[in-house]
Amino acid sequence: MAMIEIQGVNKWYGGFQVLTDCTSKVEKGEVVVVCGPSGSGKSTLIKCVNGLEPFQDGSIRVNGVSVGDPKTNLPKLRAHVGMVFQHFELFPHMTVVENLTVGQVKVLNRKKDEAAQKAAALLDRVGLSDFAQKHPGQLSGGQQQRVAIARALAMDPICMLFDEPTSALDPEMIGEVLAVMQDLAKEGMTMMVVTHEMGFARNVAHRVIFMDHGLIVEDTTKEEFFGTPRSERAQLFLSRILSH
Amino acid sequence: MFGQLDLSVIKPSLGFIWTGLLFSANLTLIAMSGGIVIGTLLAMARLAGLGPLSRIASAYVNLMRSIPLVMVILWFFLVIPLVTGKPIGAERSAIITFTAFEAAYYSEIMRAGIQSVSRGQVSAAQALGMTYWQSMALVVLPQAFRNMLPILLTQTIILFQDTSLVYAIGAKDLLKAAEIAGKNYNRPIEMYLFAAVIYFVLCIALSTLVKRLQKKIAVVR
Repeated sequence: MAMIEIQGVNKWYGGFQVLTDCTSKVEKGEVVVVCGPSGSGKSTLIKCVNGLEPFQDGSIRVNGVSVGDPKTNLPKLRAHVGMVFQHFELFPHMTVVENLTVGQVKVLNRKKDEAAQKAAALLDRVGLSDFAQKHPGQLSGGQQQRVAIARALAMDPICMLFDEPTSALDPEMIGEVLAVMQDLAKEGMTMMVVTHEMGFARNVAHRVIFMDHGLIVEDTTKEEFFGTPRSERAQLFLSRILSH
Repeated sequence: MFGQLDLSVIKPSLGFIWTGLLFSANLTLIAMSGGIVIGTLLAMARLAGLGPLSRIASAYVNLMRSIPLVMVILWFFLVIPLVTGKPIGAERSAIITFTAFEAAYYSEIMRAGIQSVSRGQVSAAQALGMTYWQSMALVVLPQAFRNMLPILLTQTIILFQDTSLVYAIGAKDLLKAAEIAGKNYNRPIEMYLFAAVIYFVLCIALSTLVKRLQKKIAVVR
């Protein structure tokens, strides 16, 4: 059974179709990069995976649990699906360490000191131990995004979703975030990553999904994607992205 | 004219005025706490988009905001004895009326506050597995409250001034106490003046506090 199974998903905003018959899957331990021009539906698709966005047709299963089923306990499912956002979305009224413990304590019912220990270990891992008592507003973008990754990891996720994790960062901060993600991939974390970072895709991804106008145009191995993308649109996209 | 003012009547009335002030302060604090709690629930009901619940909350807020406060105070005071069969007293009636009335105004402030928290914050809370109530209590409302704190306090200053309207039903607040003391000594102008000074000093002090708070919050963000 695949970790994430997307089967014939259609989604409309009013009369406008944002996703058209999307089908793909992410195996356990696999890193899949989703790319494509803006407005192609890639962010919408990844938000459908943990039910942050509803979809009208088709099915998505995460670890066998159907996301679109009204009977599914979505909060329970989401507690074990980590998500990292473009704009970090750390909770600004909490300290860094509180950001890492609030979910553990309130959602997973862990004891406070157990949660604090886990938080400390994860902050150490992303190199931000010194910032535990600071507020997110006092950190740089790159540091905030590393905290956001640590916050997701604190929940012991079975897979991680990244929604353009480096798009809002200054160029010099992209590397530090990608390094954390790369480590995570090496450890065998199942990852679905919406990104324009083709270097990351080349180094880390197993498969690449290319989307355009709400359709999955390409869904191939990394080698094939960077070697011989079959669709003209993907070729154009790649030539534009790789030229700068 | 001011040469004829006899301020010596103030001192013997201080104790009496103090009890009036205490009631005004009490009324303000209770109406503020109750109003913010009920107002927040009303705002959540309106924003949740749950059909009838949202409409009832909207109707309530709009009704309260379209009627002069003094009329609500009078109506409630006169109608409750008809419904329950016995009067509940001017003071208690004032507390209930003010809480219910101010809830409408606080609810509009909290609604703006909730909307000031970005959708991404809600998504992040949900992505961590929080339920609707958890994301509200842990993520949205603390930020909404913080963002709106200066405006909530400004509304409370207005509320404090508005408590003087309970004179209409004879509740013994600061203004009423001044009026009675003025009659006792036959010096109404002095006593009204004294009451005005108390309102003025308290309101200025509170609004200075709000301004400082605003600066402090601006720095933290």
